[in-house]
Amino acid sequence: MLSETSEDTTKQSRNRVGSFLSRRDVQQAIRAWVFWAVTLGGLGYLLIPHLMTDSASKTMDIVKSTFMAFYYTSVPVAAVVLGIATQTVLHNRHAGTVPPPDDNPAIETNQMANIVWVVISSALCVFLLVWGLVVENVVAEPSRAANATVVNVTGQQWIWTFNYPAARKDTNELYLPVDQPVIFKVQSKDVTHAFWIVQMGIKINANRGEITETAVTPNKIGVFDVRCAELCGLLHAHMQTRVHVVSKADYEKWLANQGSVEQWPAS
Amino acid sequence: MVPVNKALRTLGVIAIGSLVVSLCAILAIGVSKPPSILKAIQNGKAQTTEGLLPAAHMEISIWPDSMRGMHGAHGGAHPGFVSYGPTSHFQVPAHSVVTITFKQYDSGEKISNPYFAKVHGTVDGSMTLDGKKVSGIDPNAVGHTFTVHGMNTGQPDMFLSIPLPPTDEDAEPEPNGYAKPHIITATFITGAAGHYIWNCEYPCGDGSYAKFGNAMSTGGYMSGIFDVVDANA
Amino acid sequence: MASELITEDRTRHSAEKSVGIIRHLNLGTAVIVGALLAVTVNRIATKLIFEGDETWRRHDQIVMATMLAWFIGFMIGIGALVGPTRWFFGKDLNHDEAMFLAGKDMGLKRYFRYTTDHKVVGIQYLILTITLFFIGGVLAMLIRTNLGHESGGLIPPQVYNSIVGFHGLIMIIATIIMITGPFGNFILPIMIGARDMAFPRLNALSFWLLISILPILAATIALGGIPMGWSGYNPLADQGPLGVDSYIFTIVIFAISSAVAGANITTTAMKMRARGMNWSRTPLFVFGTVASVALALPAFPVFMLSQVMSAMDRAFGANFFNPEFGGSAWLYENLFWIMGHPEVYVILIPAVVAIMEITPVFARKPLFSFNMAIVGIFGIVGLSIFVWAHHMYISGWAPLLNGPFMLTTELISIPTGLLFLVILGTIWRGSVWTRLPMLSVYALLFNFIIGGVTGIFLSDVPEDAALHGSMFVTAHFHYTLMGAGLTGALGALAYWFPKMTGRMLDEKLGRISFWLVQIGFTVTFFGMFAVGLEGQPRRVEAYDIIFKNGNLISTMGAYTIFIGMLILLAAVITSWRNGEIAGSNPWGAQTLEWMTPTPVPLENFEVLPVVTTNPYQYGIKQETSS
Repeated sequence: MLSETSEDTTKQSRNRVGSFLSRRDVQQAIRAWVFWAVTLGGLGYLLIPHLMTDSASKTMDIVKSTFMAFYYTSVPVAAVVLGIATQTVLHNRHAGTVPPPDDNPAIETNQMANIVWVVISSALCVFLLVWGLVVENVVAEPSRAANATVVNVTGQQWIWTFNYPAARKDTNELYLPVDQPVIFKVQSKDVTHAFWIVQMGIKINANRGEITETAVTPNKIGVFDVRCAELCGLLHAHMQTRVHVVSKADYEKWLANQGSVEQWPAS
Repeated sequence: MVPVNKALRTLGVIAIGSLVVSLCAILAIGVSKPPSILKAIQNGKAQTTEGLLPAAHMEISIWPDSMRGMHGAHGGAHPGFVSYGPTSHFQVPAHSVVTITFKQYDSGEKISNPYFAKVHGTVDGSMTLDGKKVSGIDPNAVGHTFTVHGMNTGQPDMFLSIPLPPTDEDAEPEPNGYAKPHIITATFITGAAGHYIWNCEYPCGDGSYAKFGNAMSTGGYMSGIFDVVDANA
Repeated sequence: MASELITEDRTRHSAEKSVGIIRHLNLGTAVIVGALLAVTVNRIATKLIFEGDETWRRHDQIVMATMLAWFIGFMIGIGALVGPTRWFFGKDLNHDEAMFLAGKDMGLKRYFRYTTDHKVVGIQYLILTITLFFIGGVLAMLIRTNLGHESGGLIPPQVYNSIVGFHGLIMIIATIIMITGPFGNFILPIMIGARDMAFPRLNALSFWLLISILPILAATIALGGIPMGWSGYNPLADQGPLGVDSYIFTIVIFAISSAVAGANITTTAMKMRARGMNWSRTPLFVFGTVASVALALPAFPVFMLSQVMSAMDRAFGANFFNPEFGGSAWLYENLFWIMGHPEVYVILIPAVVAIMEITPVFARKPLFSFNMAIVGIFGIVGLSIFVWAHHMYISGWAPLLNGPFMLTTELISIPTGLLFLVILGTIWRGSVWTRLPMLSVYALLFNFIIGGVTGIFLSDVPEDAALHGSMFVTAHFHYTLMGAGLTGALGALAYWFPKMTGRMLDEKLGRISFWLVQIGFTVTFFGMFAVGLEGQPRRVEAYDIIFKNGNLISTMGAYTIFIGMLILLAAVITSWRNGEIAGSNPWGAQTLEWMTPTPVPLENFEVLPVVTTNPYQYGIKQETSS
């Protein structure tokens, strides 16, 4: 053959890939990769959803689906690392006090491996970024809602208090109507705290002298937890309170209850 | 290296390491002597909106220094710190109606969060101040508060906050040397057993501006444990 | 020619007399002078500084003056100022004094002096690192014991918060110095074919600066502890007790020490490589160590600055972090994290390059893609300066910047991936010589992939809103700093132990320790991932009952780690004293430090070597690579 046709070049590459894939050590590595991908993926599928807290908002649904998506994306990557490591440990071990014989291939680099690696990690990076930007936008929807309720949140050592400016009501437990966006304007009276509604997946620092904002639309009726997520001194661990998400009717009833100041209900 | 010697040495290192940890643990746990527990005294039953419940009562004082209460005759490590007493660990019975009497011997000023100038968590949202029924005090003159709260899960929610006014400027001194305090009583109903904490929400401590340092951030002065226990415990 | 360098010059006995004051200065004199000066200044300050309106400021000022006096006294007493004082008069140390300081013929005493021999400083750093890890480990046991107890609450909250802060501070200091200290000092100059570092006296200085802060750290316990975590966030630190002043002082001195060490290592690597050792023949360990300290040089002074500002807020009523008068807590957070993120790469990169140095030796294969390793290391260094605000996604500081910081943070995964490529490419088709150092290579791969991936979860802004400040974050950074970092350091220890001590580290004990630590580590921190996902905040001494099981599992894993680490300590002590005597090159490695006899002579090489190839010449050369 004086010159190679493109058909020949394609056949050559396919032959090279083919011969690469049919090599014994590559086969072993692929088997190890499959093992790790299935194990890690399976474990994640079975365990992680049980560990993650209940969801009470679309934001938290997105948090959970992002976690799983990123997890399943990283499983094949981790499986490559663990697969290669496993293959070498299973098949190339040399014990003893004398160094192994110096008969391994002196591979200083491999252009194809380098390029494939960089391309795939860049593609993964782009995927992560795009996903992140998209969900960031979706999660910010409640903050753009026109009919959002506003609640002022005050953190101080070591209690959260809430103020409903429209109704001029102060409480130490949050009451929110379901399916209604709410914007929290958060501040602190002393040190930095972090206002965290665990099951709704929102968190924002409470700073003295600044008002920070976060927003969410609760979509489930129930009782959920507010915890402080920034070390704020002696009783930081106990700086917790409740969020009660109730139907719109119950919320209006609660809001109108101007009479006595709160007693905690025997719940 | 003889294997037995090596094994012995290894066990020795493990033993010494564990000993160091144990000593440090004992030190850490015991460094502040746990305060004695003040238990509410049970006295019969009382009629409430939730029916007839066992009643109990307790008395708590707040002093402008640590000479009284649990810190020792010389005020302990920080004689100048405001101190609640007679101890900082309180215990009340579950499913009862509890009345606490407060004697607040310290001065006060404007509170940073007026929410805590109001009464929260009592049977009808009020307390008695020198015999008069009130639902809050002037936020510009707050001495201290007694605020009980705790973790959410595994126990009933509890939130109780009693604002305590400062002593009057022209108050006569009592025989114990402190200015005459106002007497506050607050009555609340406890639920099932639980482990809570209490702290004061009027910042009078150290720090350039937040004033939650010093006494407010040192356990046993203006913070402590508040337990609700079953009556048979 | 050679004999003149190493043998004692017998004709100059009288010259010993020309060694002046430095022959009397050692750790003992340093402590005495430091204590005297501290007490004196304390008395004077107590009398002179008047009570103002805010009495606590006066206490802060007295404490800081006392600590400063201790520090200056200690430095005078150890002999750090002899050189500079002589320069002031146009002189310097004479040859005999220099040899005295180099620890010539001094035996064990040279470890307690201002000795300039880099090998002595390396061993000093090794002992210091082991001690710091022991203390940090004991504190970790206290933390986990408290958290293993149902719902916590065993140790009072004030003490607990201080223990957590101390654990963090001591571990951060220990992990920063754990590879550049012992191995960057002992091994690196020999590895590049030099006789010592560029600035031997600065070398001693960087070590003794660290020793000077140990009593200050210990004093914190008596001064009320540190209630704000090792990150020292203001305003919480502003209202803290006097212990916060010792914390501030510790950070300032530590920053100086690491700047000094950084300048030293960088200059040494740039200027003192052997003939023929151009950059493509320089071992990767050198690149990584230089990258790490070069990253620390701009980063740590920012931390130091934040502490000086904190000190001024506390002691002089400055309002840097007080919003009422124009300051801001966000200012502190930014300053801290501008240091805080590069700092984790300062910790991580030496560990990874130590592993990269070990892998070719034990796989008997050249390092795969040296150039990609360089791109990876310096890519990380470059990018790490632009990612800091991913720690501040939920601080509310600049929500519009969350997206850009998410971009830079996720970009860092690309150079990090290259590091994996290099290690994997080296072990692929190589041998697996199952000695102790090789175990660490595999452990690093396993732990670092988990640490890295969990970091990716946190880099996503909405994900971070759910996970920030929870135990998930704690587990993530332990996976990277301890699972990858410490594992790399332990591998380095096993690898270079024969060169530094002349003995082999006991394999059997080492293996038992390795498995206990790694299995315990996995159990501990998976328990933590679980409770973090479930919603447990971090830095808490008590928690909701729903987190009970996860915490119990973590605690049991932690005890396993502790036993494993104690076994390693026993192995180090046993082997150092009675271990199998090592030859000069027990691993058959090719970097220059293995070409010297063991124990390494005072000036390292009889004749300075000339380098002709890179040190990864293993295996049979191939026609084509595949």
